[in-house]
Amino acid sequence: MTKFFRLVRVGLRVNFGLSLFRPKHLLENKRDIWLIPLILIGIAGLFPVLLYYLKGIRFMYRLLAPLGQQAALLTFAILMGQFLILVFGFYYVLSAFYFSRDLDLLIPLPVTPVQVLLSKFTVVVVNEYLTASPIVVPMLIAYGIHSRAGFRYWVTAVFVYLLLPVIPLAIVSLLVVGMMRFVNFSRKKDALIIIGSLVLMTGALGLQFWLRRMPDAGPGRQVLIQFFNEGGFVQKIGAKFPPSIWATRALAPETAGSEFVHFLLFAGVSALLFGALFFAARAFFYRGLIGLGEVAARRRRLSRERLSAHISSGHRPIRAIFLRELRIMNRTPIFLLNGVLSVILIPIIFILFAKAGGGKSGSDSYRIILLLASSNSAAVILGSALFMTICGCLNGTASSAFSREGAQFWMSKVIPTPPADQVKAKFLHSFAVAFLGILAAAVVAVAAIQADIVLVLISLPIAMAAAAALTALGMIIDLLRPLLKWTNPQKAIKQNLNVLIAFFAAAGILVGLTIAVTALLKRGIRGELVISGLALFLFVLAGLSFAFLLKIAARRYREIET
Amino acid sequence: MIELNDVSKSYNNGRVKAVDALTLTVRPGEIFGFLGPNGAGKTTTIKLIVGLLRPDAGTIRVDGIDNQKEPVAAKAVTTYVPDTPAIYERLTGLEYLNFIGDVYGVPKADRLRRIEKWLDIFELAGAVSSPIQSYSHGMKQKIVLIAALLPAPRVMVLDEPMVGLDPRSAHHMKEMMRTHCDGGGTLFFSTHIMEVAEKLCDRIGIIHNGRLIAHGTLEELRARDREDQSLEKIFLELTER
Ligand SMILES: Nc1ncnc2c1ncn2[C@@H]1O[C@H](COP(=O)(O)OP(=O)(O)O)[C@@H](O)[C@H]1O
Ligand SMILES: [Mg+2]
Repeated sequence: MTKFFRLVRVGLRVNFGLSLFRPKHLLENKRDIWLIPLILIGIAGLFPVLLYYLKGIRFMYRLLAPLGQQAALLTFAILMGQFLILVFGFYYVLSAFYFSRDLDLLIPLPVTPVQVLLSKFTVVVVNEYLTASPIVVPMLIAYGIHSRAGFRYWVTAVFVYLLLPVIPLAIVSLLVVGMMRFVNFSRKKDALIIIGSLVLMTGALGLQFWLRRMPDAGPGRQVLIQFFNEGGFVQKIGAKFPPSIWATRALAPETAGSEFVHFLLFAGVSALLFGALFFAARAFFYRGLIGLGEVAARRRRLSRERLSAHISSGHRPIRAIFLRELRIMNRTPIFLLNGVLSVILIPIIFILFAKAGGGKSGSDSYRIILLLASSNSAAVILGSALFMTICGCLNGTASSAFSREGAQFWMSKVIPTPPADQVKAKFLHSFAVAFLGILAAAVVAVAAIQADIVLVLISLPIAMAAAAALTALGMIIDLLRPLLKWTNPQKAIKQNLNVLIAFFAAAGILVGLTIAVTALLKRGIRGELVISGLALFLFVLAGLSFAFLLKIAARRYREIET
Repeated sequence: MIELNDVSKSYNNGRVKAVDALTLTVRPGEIFGFLGPNGAGKTTTIKLIVGLLRPDAGTIRVDGIDNQKEPVAAKAVTTYVPDTPAIYERLTGLEYLNFIGDVYGVPKADRLRRIEKWLDIFELAGAVSSPIQSYSHGMKQKIVLIAALLPAPRVMVLDEPMVGLDPRSAHHMKEMMRTHCDGGGTLFFSTHIMEVAEKLCDRIGIIHNGRLIAHGTLEELRARDREDQSLEKIFLELTER
């Protein structure tokens, strides 16, 4: 057991120790001082969102409480939290279990596969507390306050929160361990990992789709009648995933005393799945892991003609570097999943969500559909520009452009290509990924939401300007503090603080622009005028940030010592 | 030609002085062996020459070009082989060589001729279309070496190039070094093994604790060795393996 805890401690330290939880190290470099205001702005930018969320909770609580249905709020938050964990957990689990290089060090040590896997599992669980917290924590607290809950509620809430990731993560882990066992049979491992990941993700999405589809209740009174039925809303929301109901009922019991039964059920199933993982680890883990790094290498001599055909007659350096970026990104499974694949998947996920709501007024995505399909052309243009920008830029490609090079960065420092040109090539690559996302979003907007194609086309340059600005911004952040000392590719992109900072910065800018544009429109300023103003602003912003990126390139390449 | 003039470099905000007021000239057509025990400052010096590190003080000229003032021009005439071959694992050997050919602007005919020749000599022709990920440590080292030869640079800088090579490859490596310098090129390499330096070098520099304590031809150094106690100690350290 002590070995297990030591592994967990080391894992946590590698995961967080050097960055997030030790502010001293976060700002190890004095140059990073500028980060503090940026992070504060980012947090400030998210503050209104939190406020809206809390207001929404209060509103819903007041609406539901007279009907005795307020516990449904808990079910909703717990369910959403567990789904987030399910989706994000997939990346975490795959990379923590199979792609971290420390595994090569751990395998020869006198620790059992079970200890290794469960310690990694624990580290992922801790990670997921952070993932789920923005949705679940405000709800647990707000609910407790609104319901004037007693001591017992707060204690249970803590335990429910601690157990929350176990069930979804154990499910994901079992699937991943099973999948990797199978993948490792084959010679085309990378391809199978990607395909398997897609299948599992589609599965998770399908699950979501199925879960979110509410039974057809029919309009008006009939719905109300159903609400008053036994269990009501809680049952309805949580029906497809009972653990969320048990957790709800452990917090807000229907009858006095029943909370213990439900809590035991929740904890018991968590323990059961954890146990199943224990056995899966023993049976499959190392067999899926060992030899994973081996690649199928064809040892075959190229004939002189073939060799000649494969030797290029010379690309310009920018093109050569662009190609290098493209190849490395698309051939590293973890990078691919976070880049091109996520950019294509995000709009599709969105559509699944929207369609799952069936266009009913109750669905979250309905408002965006309304916006995109509305008869107000200014609203359609702005809405689709925002949608396209989000789909194109919600990935870590730009903000890990330098970090991804890792230990290979020395090569970028010794080749005789001016840093500004290298940065241009990287910008082209990141922008190409963003553009792919923009196109995917445009197709989705036109094909699935029936947005007016002309209006979507008009919004295209706006989205591209915004994407160019955000791409340059992300790259600036990564160039100022690149993370080059990683062993697990996941660290370079998904767990890279730069990606998070860039995300906050982008969110702040988009929220700010949305607020400004809405305010202008409300003042009665004409739509055309607002749109042209916005486009002009974004073009200038893109130009300025790109120019700044190029300006710091040479200096930063010289300063980054490897 | 490589000229270091009063070059210093320290790590950890000056706490570790890795290179201390180093002055050194390597002439064209010369194989210069940089000899010193582990931790002497060899890698640091090499990284300073190729521009991976910035000197705290002093100037470095490569082929007459100041590598701080005109870094791109200096890089265009230099290639570098690091002590650990951290290269693009996801590219095939050939893609990597093409990348190097592109960024150094090597014309296709030269590229084909040189790649063919070196792949043959270092016995990598069969592996060149597989991902570098599948190479052994020695194969990785050899592909980096071929990449460094591909631009036919004026100056080559190699960090512990013999470590990890099999005897046959090490032999080809030595021949390659000689040919490079007979063509007027400059070659600077580091080693912690006396024997390697002995066999190959026109001149040798001995570094200890970041300071250049002696340099010259082997005979010159041997002569001094008989008088100088401290030098003898270092020689002993370098000879016994
Ligand atoms: N990145 C670094 N940070 C701190 N100290 C370093 C670093 N690299 C090297 N050193 C120190 O600088 C000195 C010289 O190291 P190095 O140039 O690698 O020696 P050599 O290559 O001759 O073995 C050693 O004392 C080493 O510990
Ligand atoms: Mg060294």
